[in-house]
Amino acid sequence: MSAPAADAQLNDPVLSVDKVSVRFETREGPVVAVDDVSFGVRQGEFLSVIGPSGCGKSTLFNVIGGLLTQHQGTVSVAGETIDGPHKSIGMVFQEESTFPWRTVTDNVAFPLELVGMAKAERVERARHFIKLVGLDGFDNRHPGELSGGMRQRVSLARTLASKPKILLMDEPFAALDEQTRLLLGDKVLQIQQEIQQTTLLITHNITEAVQMSDRILVMTYRPGRVKRIVDIDLPRPRTSEIVSSEAFGRYVAQIWADLREEASRGMREAEDQVLHHQGAES
Amino acid sequence: MADTGRLRSTAVGAPGWVSPVTLLRVVIILTFLAVWEFLSHSGWLYRDVVPSLVRIAAALVDLLTHGEYYFNLGVTAAEIGLALAIGGSLGIVVGIVLGANRFLTKAYEPYLYYLGPTPKIIFFPIIIMWCGVGPESKVALGALSCFFPLALSVAAGMRQIDKVLIRVGKSFRANSWQMVMKIYLPAMRHPLINGVRLGFGFALIGTLLAETKLSNMGIGFLIINAYSTFDMPRMYAMLIVLFVLSIGANALIGRLGGIESIKRR
Ligand SMILES: Nc1ncnc2c1ncn2[C@@H]1O[C@H](COP(=O)(O)OP(=O)(O)OP(=O)(O)O)[C@@H](O)[C@H]1O
Ligand SMILES: [Mg+2]
Repeated sequence: MSAPAADAQLNDPVLSVDKVSVRFETREGPVVAVDDVSFGVRQGEFLSVIGPSGCGKSTLFNVIGGLLTQHQGTVSVAGETIDGPHKSIGMVFQEESTFPWRTVTDNVAFPLELVGMAKAERVERARHFIKLVGLDGFDNRHPGELSGGMRQRVSLARTLASKPKILLMDEPFAALDEQTRLLLGDKVLQIQQEIQQTTLLITHNITEAVQMSDRILVMTYRPGRVKRIVDIDLPRPRTSEIVSSEAFGRYVAQIWADLREEASRGMREAEDQVLHHQGAES
Repeated sequence: MADTGRLRSTAVGAPGWVSPVTLLRVVIILTFLAVWEFLSHSGWLYRDVVPSLVRIAAALVDLLTHGEYYFNLGVTAAEIGLALAIGGSLGIVVGIVLGANRFLTKAYEPYLYYLGPTPKIIFFPIIIMWCGVGPESKVALGALSCFFPLALSVAAGMRQIDKVLIRVGKSFRANSWQMVMKIYLPAMRHPLINGVRLGFGFALIGTLLAETKLSNMGIGFLIINAYSTFDMPRMYAMLIVLFVLSIGANALIGRLGGIESIKRR
């Protein structure tokens, strides 16, 4: 360990989430989507948030990204409390989010255009990130001419091009097939290792989470709370090959045990609700 | 029966030939012209209600060789253009504001729906009082006419925009102007172009209608003038020119919407 002062600075979270709760008013009454969630992400760290479907991951993602403001608690970036989209945070969305009327280059250059960067410069920067995600040669295509995985890479490149201090991703690979997903995972790992990108990844894929993360935050199902934070002590640099190691298997088993509890509780509750409805109707 | 069958088979057999649809259209037009000419010579109808084609053609030539006509055509075109520019841009702005704001939509959109289909000509007396009998009142009525269809189709277009694209814009901290120019407008380019097309039609109708009611220049004025002096060939000649011009203008707007880079989805 180095000097304590430097150490303390290193361990200071760049992103901290403090007692965040979100409640939605629905027709069936209030739903607590996120309940009293607190954690921090350190400089250069890769942290994954994992949890069953519907546990409030996207809600948390929107709060941290500043797109959802009616929440309790605070989110701060380097000590500064956010009250809207913050310039240090770059988001990659769960849904298809490329602009169909723009070419790949113009899609990736979009955030640079917004800040008024000169055309030549932003095209050059866009080209660099297009290459980084492995889309060399597709610069002048439109999203409609690309596959789903390629479009998702365009979204990733677009967010990376804005050079965010913190990269925030909501299940960016969820809609992809297993092979593309693994390859893209490798890509993200490689990028992460190349540019030491501080990353918060939201996922419900255990393998993906263990493979990429320094730490994994497991969420409970309804209300979405922090169940456990697991340190992943696997050597870096990593590739998708690490999946076959024994230590990897142990982490996966441990997190799976945590998750299974939550996921099955979620399923049971959903079933109960359906049965309840049927009972009420008949 | 046998005849049509043979026509179709030859058309299919030899692709270089005129297609049956085109042929049918030509036949319909020729029949119409023949009946017209027959009626004009039959003497069944009151003098000149159906003038001979020859006289209409002569009137057409006369029309197109006189500067007066072009002056009035220019006046009307300018009125329509201005009406579309004013009413159209107002319609787009109101449509965007309504489409972006659920509260305002609830409050104001019903008015648009009620006022939209109302014939705007009923406001003409009021417009005359405000703007006078000159071209201004024609522009005003044309603008009023094209405002509603554009505002409504833009508001509907706004609601069809993929919500995630709006969130992308916000996450990159686009300001309102950038949101409109770089996301809202391009994302709803299809409904927008349709709206402009619709708006053009309404501006044309509104402006011409106003000119025929009360004016001292413009195509509408000339037409109603020809009518009141019972110069039927001249009136028909003007209607023909008007018809051709509006088809041309509509095709032009359509072409604008067909441009490859805009069409991409
Ligand atoms: N705008 C909203 N209004 C009402 N309820 C909402 C809203 N958004 C989310 N919810 C509810 O909040 C809960 C959490 O939703 P969220 O989208 O955050 O889940 P998630 O963990 O991202 O799920 P998934 O893995 O399927 O994407 C769900 O029960 C959902 O029904
Ligand atoms: Mg989600």
